[in-house]
Amino acid sequence: MKKPLILLVAAVLTAATLSACGDEPNVAGDKKIIVYSGRGESLIKPALEKFTKATGIQVEARYGDTAQMASQLIEEGGRTKADVFISQDAGGLGAVAKKGLLAALPADTLAKAPKEFQSRAGQWVGVTGRARTFVYNPDLVPVADLPKSVFDVTQPQWRGKVAIAPTNGSFQAFVTSLRVGQGEAKAEEFLNGLKANGVQIRSNNIQIVQEVADGKLPAGLVNHYYLHEIAKEKGIAPETMKAKLHFFTPGDPGNLVNVSGAAITMNSANDADSKALVDFLLGAEAQTYFANEVGEYPLSASVPAAAGLPTFAGIKPPAIDLNDLDSLEQTVALIKKVGLA
Amino acid sequence: MSSLHVTGGRKAFGAVAAMSGVDLTVASGSLVAVLGPSGCGKTTLLRCIAGFERLDAGSIEVGGKVVARPGLHLAPERRRIAVVPQDGALFPHLSVAGNVGYGLDRGARRSGRISETLELVGLAGYEDRMPHQLSGGQQQRVAVARALAPKPPLVLLDEPFSALDAALRAELRRDVRAALHADGATAVLVTHDQGEALSMADELAVMRAGVIVQSGAPADVYRRPADPWVASFVGEAVLLPAAAEGTNALTPLGRVRLTAPQNGHSDAVTVFLRPEQLQLLPAGTSDGVTATVLRRDFHGHDALLLLALPDGLKVSARVFGEAGASPVIGDEVTVTVLGEALAYPR
Amino acid sequence: MRARPVLLAASLIAVAVGLIPLGYLAIRAGEAGWPRIAAEVFTQRTAVLAARSIGLALVVTLACVVIGVGSAFLVVRSDLPWRRGFGVLAALPLAVPTYVAGFSWVSTVDGFSGFWAAALVLTLCSYPYVFLPVAAALRGTDAAQEEVSRALGKGAWRTFTGVTLRQVRPAVAAGALLVALYVFSDFGAVSIVLVDTFTRAVFTAFSLGFDRTGALVLSTVLVVLTVLLLTGEGLTRRKGARYARPGVSRPPTRIALRGLRWPFIAALAAVSALALGMPAASLIRWLSAGVSRPGSLGEIAAATGNSLFVSVAGALLTTLLALPVGLYAARSPGFLSAGLERLTYLGHALPGVVIGLSLVFFGINVAYSLYQTVWLLALAYAALFLPLAVGAVHAAAAQSPPALEDTARSLGRRPLYVFRTITLPLTLPGVGAGAALTVLTCMKELPATLLLRPTGMDTLATELWTHTSVSEYAAAAPYAALLVLIAAIPTWALSREVISA
Repeated sequence: MKKPLILLVAAVLTAATLSACGDEPNVAGDKKIIVYSGRGESLIKPALEKFTKATGIQVEARYGDTAQMASQLIEEGGRTKADVFISQDAGGLGAVAKKGLLAALPADTLAKAPKEFQSRAGQWVGVTGRARTFVYNPDLVPVADLPKSVFDVTQPQWRGKVAIAPTNGSFQAFVTSLRVGQGEAKAEEFLNGLKANGVQIRSNNIQIVQEVADGKLPAGLVNHYYLHEIAKEKGIAPETMKAKLHFFTPGDPGNLVNVSGAAITMNSANDADSKALVDFLLGAEAQTYFANEVGEYPLSASVPAAAGLPTFAGIKPPAIDLNDLDSLEQTVALIKKVGLA
Repeated sequence: MSSLHVTGGRKAFGAVAAMSGVDLTVASGSLVAVLGPSGCGKTTLLRCIAGFERLDAGSIEVGGKVVARPGLHLAPERRRIAVVPQDGALFPHLSVAGNVGYGLDRGARRSGRISETLELVGLAGYEDRMPHQLSGGQQQRVAVARALAPKPPLVLLDEPFSALDAALRAELRRDVRAALHADGATAVLVTHDQGEALSMADELAVMRAGVIVQSGAPADVYRRPADPWVASFVGEAVLLPAAAEGTNALTPLGRVRLTAPQNGHSDAVTVFLRPEQLQLLPAGTSDGVTATVLRRDFHGHDALLLLALPDGLKVSARVFGEAGASPVIGDEVTVTVLGEALAYPR
Repeated sequence: MRARPVLLAASLIAVAVGLIPLGYLAIRAGEAGWPRIAAEVFTQRTAVLAARSIGLALVVTLACVVIGVGSAFLVVRSDLPWRRGFGVLAALPLAVPTYVAGFSWVSTVDGFSGFWAAALVLTLCSYPYVFLPVAAALRGTDAAQEEVSRALGKGAWRTFTGVTLRQVRPAVAAGALLVALYVFSDFGAVSIVLVDTFTRAVFTAFSLGFDRTGALVLSTVLVVLTVLLLTGEGLTRRKGARYARPGVSRPPTRIALRGLRWPFIAALAAVSALALGMPAASLIRWLSAGVSRPGSLGEIAAATGNSLFVSVAGALLTTLLALPVGLYAARSPGFLSAGLERLTYLGHALPGVVIGLSLVFFGINVAYSLYQTVWLLALAYAALFLPLAVGAVHAAAAQSPPALEDTARSLGRRPLYVFRTITLPLTLPGVGAGAALTVLTCMKELPATLLLRPTGMDTLATELWTHTSVSEYAAAAPYAALLVLIAAIPTWALSREVISA
């Protein structure tokens, strides 16, 4: 027992020391960066590979859930090894920014995306747009009956026909935008209306889109790109799916656009390599990739959306500044109060 | 060769005193049996000697070397006192040779000590067996061999035969005693079985409630117990209320001669006899007391009778000889006393 | 009882590791301050969540006890045909992560959601926690006691409930405790079938409001629930000789099932079909319906290798830490050792994300050189899964009577030599079983693995997550299948250890 024990301890210590002196994090200009990605590997990795190919900068990436990764960054604080944080939504970026852990981005980087899709203090910038939309099955919902506004789904003809995923972050952001844009009373009335109208509850957007496509559900409130995701998995074109996307009247609160985004940590504030990555993500090559392969809206004006989607300008998102959507606690409280989660 | 001295040994578990001042001496090369009822503290004494428990007070000396005293507690492995536990406790994953050789260094193992001790316990040639392939008696023999193998200064046997059946027990007792003697071992046997203690031990120590109440040669303890409790614990006893008059006592069985004159402040005594001292004759053939046979426990070579005396007192008597010759239940007999009796002040 | 300073000191180290998450929770809850804690904890919602978590744990534990004890009895003590095979099948659901099982049910059965759906999935995934120890205990029971009971005129059923069940009671209790704690901590199944339990609320608090403090404060309630559960289990546990009787005991007889054998075969087959067939069918459907493909064979091999490496490292560390605690509990039974043993259970009911964050905290502030290395991940596994190994070591040590160690020392051998030549060889099979259980549990773990793995290292569980999170089910299927297949190896070893031998 004695010998193996000592050997094991020795092995642990050696491995620990080796890995400790392996890579020095946050060194500026060493052509090497560490990325914390709150977005899935299969979406982000191709973009990062393109980046390395274009710039020669090596990227080490750790992937995780955005909320948990934000918690991890906050827990790590000033000792984080991360140079760049890529987030699924603005909320995750805002939470880390609030702790003072994100560096202000250079003006030329911020200029690559619309003002309403970046942090006011310039601590993060949107990379792709993710629109809220109405998904429906044309066999179950006649095109003529499609709602003009998201508020219409609380009406009797939609009773029991519409699904939501209230524990999902995208629905949360949507409710927050209602509270901010339409007022607390209107938001609460809407949620109560959904509840009274027998709204169907699902655990996530994919499940809703899948069930709509399978004819098990008539309609649902989801993010737009899930249709693209499922079509890709089935190996078919999104247009041939039995699930269709419908955007509300331009400017309707139901057309909210949230973003995935990127930021640079305080530790890496002066690392040109980190800035290079954020610039790259907003550049034509990455934006085209996100548009065509992921089905999200490019935020760069010069890159068109994927075929089959209405133009970004066409859906006309409501006039909401994403910076104002940082009151998620109240949203959660409201959803719980109404009894939808 | 060495001896054991326990002086004033005390040990308590919480509020319960297991040993309250034990004195025990074992001469080199002899086998001492510690006899006592369950709960008297004899196993605690053994565990303290072995070093499994720490003494609260007192001292233990083995072969002239102090192994335990206030402020000193030698670890079991440094005392080298071998133990034969109640159930043998053979190491189930080691062969017989592995078990016996466990306490031996490499040299001793090669020198043939393993086969030597196995031969001593009558298991020559069993080296490669595994414990589960052995009978209960064989397992105990291996346990004894394992204890003897390193030639320990002292061997402790903790009721080693209690789990075995009677016939096996008697044979094993003889063999183990022989093996211990052949090896010149000093040994302490802890038991609650008086037959085992009397037949195996060179010396007997009777323990009660945490103290040794009497020790001596088995025959002496049997004949001259220190008090009525020892008398009845060490064997069947006839205890009679009596009035002492010098070297005689007046008992329900008539006048009995005492081994020593009773000169205490009271002449009320308890007279002690062994059942074999009661002689039975056909009723009316002698001038003894007449009694009725209540119960008869037949043992083959002898029988133990329970008799009711005229005043209602019940006494035991042992009769030898052929089954047909001894009285049966309901018979009336005349009882007389053979030899001298011991008297204890009441 | 002799004091065992070395064991005690080593146990204290192990307990310290197990308490890292609690220390972290205490620090964060302290920062939140009492008003915040009160606002978060003393609400009606907390009460509802707690009631639901307890209710779910109760239902699942009861169901697991019925299925676990039933299949163990059939496999070990009846003349059931193909019982070896059924024994392995009964242990295999341990290899299925609850998120895989939950997802396969939801995608197969319309409207599969809610409390009873969660109860079904969790029962099917965790009844082996009861089956394995009970089967082992049943194998070791003494036939004589049952024969005496039958001779005294008790029927087969009354003998089973009155004698046999009583003999295996500690094993049932140990398994039931693991099940209940697992239900408290599970996120995979409850999130998929939409049951709001405490752990789901903790996860939701993280992702909805990015409310780390709220999530952590909520987690403290889970600790309280665990303490209550452990106390309850401790009160019902009877004192008594837990040591195996030495000597050769007769193997128990098998009950003849006669006409009941086919119904029982059908029942066991049905349980296995639901627990194993359902996920298997789902995986096949994923594979055939999708066009996404996993990475290269090299990537799959790397993920497999990484899974094995981190799981084995985690299990080794866990077992090493569990050894002194289990031995101390078995050798020096008492208030102190029982207390230390129980302390190692506290982390087990916490959500993996909380354990992960606590180790992030520990790595950043205490062991920065270990941060984002395999060793910190192994430490997290140890904090999470210590009870699995501690229980196994304790049971194994209780099987080898302390008289053996006493005797060995009286033969002049030092404690370390005795440990190496007597204690370790005798407890090794049981310790090995505990290690195998830990390996496969580590392999399935996701949240802590995501937070703590070295940057750039993928395991089967993280790959599975990566692909399912973007609907690439066909790409995910091979990882899920490999995960189950590889986890099946230690499971198979476990069941063999328990059933045959």
